[in-house]
Amino acid sequence: MIPENFIQSNLQGISFIGPELILTLAILLILLVGVLLPYWRHRILFTILAVAGLAGSVLPLWKLPQPAPDLTYLSNLFVWDWLTFLSKPFFAVVGVLTILLTQVTGEIDNSEYSECTILVLAVTMGMMLLVASTDLLMIYLAFETMGILSYLLVGIRARDERSGEAALKYVLYGAFTSGTMLFGFSLLFGLAGSTDLLAISQKVAFASQHPQDRLLLIVAILFFLAGLLFKTASFPFHFWCPDVYEGAPTPITAFLSVGPKAAGFVLFIRLFYPLFATGHDATIYEAVSGLDWPSILALVSAITMTLGNLAAIHQNNLKRLLAYSSIAHAGYLLMGIVSLSDLGLRSVVFYLVVYLFMNVGAFAVVAMVASAGGSEEIDSYRGLGARAPYVCVAMAIFLFSLIGLPPFAGFVGKVYLFAAVIYKKIYWLAVVAALNTVISLYYYLRIVKAMFLEKPTETIQIQVPLSSRVLLLALLVPTLGLGIYWQPLARVVSGMF
Amino acid sequence: MTDLIFNVFILLTIIPCFWVALSSNIVHAAFSLLITLFGIAGLYVLLGADFIGVIQVIVYIGGILVLIIFGVMMTQRGKLLPLSIQLPGKLFGAVLTGVILAALLLSATRTLWPVAAVLGEPQLTSAAIGDLLLGKYLIPFEIASVLLLAALIGAVLIARRSVRGE
Amino acid sequence: MDWMIGFAILIVKLGVVLVGLLLLAAYLVLLERKFLGRLQIRYGPNRAGKFGLLQPLADTIKMLTKEDIVPEAADRVLFLLAPAVVAAEALLIFAVVPFGASVTLLGKKIPLVITDLNVGLLYVFALASLGVYGVALGGWASNSKYSLLGGIRGAAQMISYELSLGLSLVPIVMLARSFSLLDIVRAQAHYPFILVQPVSFMIFFISAMAETKRIPFDLPEAENELGAGYHTEYSGMRFGLFFLGEYVNLQVFGALVAVFFLGGWRGPFLPPVVWFLIKILVISILMIWVRGTLPRLRYDQLMHLGWKVLVPLALLNIVATGFVLLIIG
Repeated sequence: MIPENFIQSNLQGISFIGPELILTLAILLILLVGVLLPYWRHRILFTILAVAGLAGSVLPLWKLPQPAPDLTYLSNLFVWDWLTFLSKPFFAVVGVLTILLTQVTGEIDNSEYSECTILVLAVTMGMMLLVASTDLLMIYLAFETMGILSYLLVGIRARDERSGEAALKYVLYGAFTSGTMLFGFSLLFGLAGSTDLLAISQKVAFASQHPQDRLLLIVAILFFLAGLLFKTASFPFHFWCPDVYEGAPTPITAFLSVGPKAAGFVLFIRLFYPLFATGHDATIYEAVSGLDWPSILALVSAITMTLGNLAAIHQNNLKRLLAYSSIAHAGYLLMGIVSLSDLGLRSVVFYLVVYLFMNVGAFAVVAMVASAGGSEEIDSYRGLGARAPYVCVAMAIFLFSLIGLPPFAGFVGKVYLFAAVIYKKIYWLAVVAALNTVISLYYYLRIVKAMFLEKPTETIQIQVPLSSRVLLLALLVPTLGLGIYWQPLARVVSGMF
Repeated sequence: MTDLIFNVFILLTIIPCFWVALSSNIVHAAFSLLITLFGIAGLYVLLGADFIGVIQVIVYIGGILVLIIFGVMMTQRGKLLPLSIQLPGKLFGAVLTGVILAALLLSATRTLWPVAAVLGEPQLTSAAIGDLLLGKYLIPFEIASVLLLAALIGAVLIARRSVRGE
Repeated sequence: MDWMIGFAILIVKLGVVLVGLLLLAAYLVLLERKFLGRLQIRYGPNRAGKFGLLQPLADTIKMLTKEDIVPEAADRVLFLLAPAVVAAEALLIFAVVPFGASVTLLGKKIPLVITDLNVGLLYVFALASLGVYGVALGGWASNSKYSLLGGIRGAAQMISYELSLGLSLVPIVMLARSFSLLDIVRAQAHYPFILVQPVSFMIFFISAMAETKRIPFDLPEAENELGAGYHTEYSGMRFGLFFLGEYVNLQVFGALVAVFFLGGWRGPFLPPVVWFLIKILVISILMIWVRGTLPRLRYDQLMHLGWKVLVPLALLNIVATGFVLLIIG
């Protein structure tokens, strides 16, 4: 029988997953409206329901107690710390932006729209759960919730071979890497006899003293990396990224490039810092003795950003180009992970927030141009500056920010990341990253040049509706604002670690 | 005696795997997978996890593999097209597989695994699993159902397309 | 010494059950033909022996002596394996079916069940789900269009009805609080479960007919469209194994209905094993009667019935049972 006090503690813990419960309710509501009221199947209704669900999911957060690193709930499956607290609104924003982008671009048919919103909400729920989990079982379940449903999102577009091919590639890579990660989990479970991260970390700290056990830990770390590097689209698990990003509907691409990617980085922090690092003093960590995973990751980071940037140079399809740019950014973000300091972790989170707005912004422009009569090829952008100045200026700002030029938000984010590695005296990585930024300048500016300096090759008229303009404005404000006045975000982020 | 049966099940699990990977007849590969999955169920039972063992048969052999074979039966008969992998690729794959295998074997044998002190009579597991599913792991259990619901919706969406595409 | 006696008892039990099952299967065929004949105002077989009582023997000899043909284009291994899977799966289910409480023989208590598994009910489902393979692989391996169609139909049908079959028994488990078939029979000491779970019984009965692929659910072998469906290409004793599997399955489901809904071996006056046999026979006759009465379903009707009627009904039944149990406490 289940004891009474257990039920009580479960009931108390439920309030901490209020956001996920509200999202589930929204999913059921959309499902019921879609099935029971076929004449109400308008896009706008589903958009309103989904956005309301996402916005409502954030509301219960402010009624909860002060986050604390050791405040666990629901039988220690979840933790309520600042990272959890801040990640949930972050993913809600990701979801809202995706839904609004699908609404304004019309890339997804009406007949699939309600299902698309359901899947976006469910993936968002998975990401919210993932960042809060402190138990291997829960982590894997949330990871797969996020993964399996995003495969479906990629393949959602009917009668489109590219979409189907992208989904298949995504599934195959995803199944392989998450299976590998699960195998890594099982090794650690075998060693510790528990799925709780806290219990495992104690066992790992103990086991790393013994040379016999060290090999197992190395294997486990490498297996974890497969899953995490896949989700963050880093070397050597980045091959899926360009094809999937190109084949998926553009709003979904934008979603994947910021949502699951951010979740992957948060999972890096969740898994590696408690398990394989020890807090030396308050702000600096050390890798568990005998396991030099930061060096491996530093190498992965350097290769990832270089590969991404070099491959991006030759791309003429903007979605592919942005996909490679997204790989490169995964490399930059890894710099924060390898720096083993609170500064590094803060800079990762800070950059993820900034990246959300500028990257979704860039994809939003691509989607808007494509749906307004252009295409995703760079040819469509030649001379576009004169015909659609507002959109092109916005695109230019997003691209400058992605490069990391002042006074845009991307610059501040990059400064933090560079500061983190230099602070830890990993100079070579900083140099590689600086060189990469220079390379990236070339291909980002190619688009800007095409828009403003070249003669148009096509004479199509680009008409961007008002709703799209408002959405772009909503993305521009943080991209510009955080570049000039970033202290509030920095203060929030510095409270986390 | 138990050791002997255990080893038989291990062989039952591993040997068909080669057939799964190497067979050029896709139905034979799927059928070999059946034997592998059955061997795993046997291992579970011998390890005292009767409930998991039976569920393994119901879910994997009775559900997932049937769907695989069902899908395979609809596809073209005959041999599969041979994969055209170049020699460097093959070599790289072989080396990588060898290294991973060696690392796994080494870590499996060298690691000081925590071992339960005494293996008594096997306990009945279904009641304990039921308590855990509705107790400690209630929330994961419910989340899994949300995942399945959403996956179901997505699967219907993808399947519906081919009907409408006619 | 002790375990040797146990082992010997086990072997004897296995032998008795096996022989009993095969004999009963043979005479079920005769019963079906006779009864069906009567329903259609015919005599049925009446040449071999008095009332045709030796007909099963004649049939067996015929099948054993016929040429065993393997089509040239068939996938030999799977073709030969498929009938064995069907027959073995049906026979193995009986390992957990209890025939009676227990008898005391030479001062030793012997339970009248081959093995009482803690997860017996799940074991039954695990094996029942294996039945799909015989049909699907047999149909595929024959390399004939009729067979393939039959195999695909069979696989789809069996997967669909396995669901309602499983869900219909959840209330039984809730009432008995155990997966063990012995415990389920014990839980019916005061009243058989058919009285409190008529809906469950109905769903189980219909799904069981679909699982055994009997009319009105015989689309996988619909003889007037598909020849004989998945076993079109089989001959001789391999066909016999399919045939045997079908009639053993009939007994399996008769026995399961008896265990889950009719109180197992319980009954007044007569010894338990006899009661158990009577119950199996009654269920079998009921199934034969249905065969003589109903026409075959269309494919869409089959799927509609399974997914849109039986599954939701079974789910509702579970919820209702849960409510009632909660209120009663």
